Amino acid sequence: MMQTDISLEAALNALLLADAHALDSKDMPGWLGNYADEEAAAYYCRSAENSEHGLALGFMYDDCRARLEDRVTFVNDIWAGTFQDYRTRHFVQLTSFDRVDATTLEMRSNFSVFMTPKDSGITQVLAAGQYLDTVRQDKNGELKLLSRRAELDTSVLPRYLVYPI
Amino acid sequence: MTEIKLSWPKNYNEVPKEAFVREDIYAEEVKRIFHGTEWQPVAHESELPNPGDFKTYRLAGVPLLIGRDVEGVVRVFYNACSHRGNQLETAVMGNKTEFECPYHRWLFDSKGDLVGCPNPREFLPGFNKADYPLAQPRFDIFFGLIFVTLSAGTEPLLEYLGDSQNTLRELLAGDGRLKLLGYQKVRYDSNWKSYTDNDGYHAPLLHQAFKMLNWQGGKGRQFAVTKRGHICFESALSVATGPSVLKDKSLIEFKGQDPAVGSRIVSLFPTFVSTKHLDVINLRFATPIDAATVEVHYAYFAHQDDDEDMVHHRLRQSSNLLGPCGLISMEDASIFHRIHIGNHTPGSAIFQKGVHDPLKLESEFLQNDESGNLPRWEYYRSVMGFERATV
Repeated sequence: MMQTDISLEAALNALLLADAHALDSKDMPGWLGNYADEEAAAYYCRSAENSEHGLALGFMYDDCRARLEDRVTFVNDIWAGTFQDYRTRHFVQLTSFDRVDATTLEMRSNFSVFMTPKDSGITQVLAAGQYLDTVRQDKNGELKLLSRRAELDTSVLPRYLVYPI
Repeated sequence: MTEIKLSWPKNYNEVPKEAFVREDIYAEEVKRIFHGTEWQPVAHESELPNPGDFKTYRLAGVPLLIGRDVEGVVRVFYNACSHRGNQLETAVMGNKTEFECPYHRWLFDSKGDLVGCPNPREFLPGFNKADYPLAQPRFDIFFGLIFVTLSAGTEPLLEYLGDSQNTLRELLAGDGRLKLLGYQKVRYDSNWKSYTDNDGYHAPLLHQAFKMLNWQGGKGRQFAVTKRGHICFESALSVATGPSVLKDKSLIEFKGQDPAVGSRIVSLFPTFVSTKHLDVINLRFATPIDAATVEVHYAYFAHQDDDEDMVHHRLRQSSNLLGPCGLISMEDASIFHRIHIGNHTPGSAIFQKGVHDPLKLESEFLQNDESGNLPRWEYYRSVMGFERATV
């Protein structure tokens, strides 16, 4: 860690856990609420394989706030009742963070996501990888994700994705 | 070939569900179909834009090394050393001008020639490196789309494609000059036939997205070609009008030059599905892993003449619209799983929409007819040697 600010580290961890909690609770408005209320707020999910070969295509490519809001609509309204649902459990571990400027930080963390389809009840790994995050800190010190790239070591997914990773 | 018994119904619109789940049938499919007289797409040239670029791929288990040599010529090899058969290259993609087998250090150039091997004086008398190039399957290329066949008996590629050529060429942007945007790769818990039976097309009833986007089905044509029943769709696009539930409408925006036929699909027996929908150009390289699993590599492309804005538009649309997590198609993925589970029940899957006479096969269909799959099923039945009941 470059920083020794223990309270900052705790706040970053809280942000990571809040996102994991929202996703595992299928609380899409809660998920959206972890992102900064800025036009540039973004979420990407793509394989490390694509990234390493300079290929920007993702499993999800939400490169503006409106798109994040639409992601909530996809899950909660458009897809409702059409898929075999599954539970997820996200395990996240902060690995590094750096301050970029007074209001911006960069953060890396590892993740693994377990998936349990409701019908089979058998748990398997959905994906492993790392989050590459840019974090916005407002005047009150509150932290939100400005952008998150979930970069998946898992280049071949074991199933379709309904929820963001 | 092994004779496999399966009672096939008299009616053309019925497919016995056993065909989707029996292990003995799958083993025979690998021999008769995947290693048989079929041309199967494995890559597009634009995935290997530069000399030395390569991609590896497993075609029904057979490892392939698809590369562009130092002079720019595309070649397809078996991805196995010509010495003891060790898998030669392990990377999924990359750039190399030489491939060295780590087992005994045999070295091959990008043309597949053996250019080095340690201590050849200890080999068989008369050993000559020229006799040990990398082995190659038959391959051919159609507007950049690289096809492989593992049989010497397959007819020429253009004959194989038949009247799907025009739709496929237009789907490949008319000239095949594509630019790779990236991949979405996924395994489905589904027999490969459930995947291909449902990936190309199905009734839009499934897609809630169409309804919510006020996206009416365009008028279109569906037709089956060649004895294999390759299926082509050509449809006008009716882009959403009126209120949309989406805040970012660029996801369903159509910036292309082809509004009269904005949507094209070509589904080639046995597993290949390709689609051009709005500004998404998507080639789906699919291969069975076992009787209950199919792996699909969704490869997405721009056109080489696209400007930066168009590439960006295609990236956003391709990532979010039609793949295993796409707005329109995520539900398909779920359906593959559910069909496979349902196929473990007795009886037949029965096609209804567009079937006029269950005792006749047709080759022209309406856009949303499910009967378009029936010529393909008849070909499958005949290749597998299943006898159709007469009463």
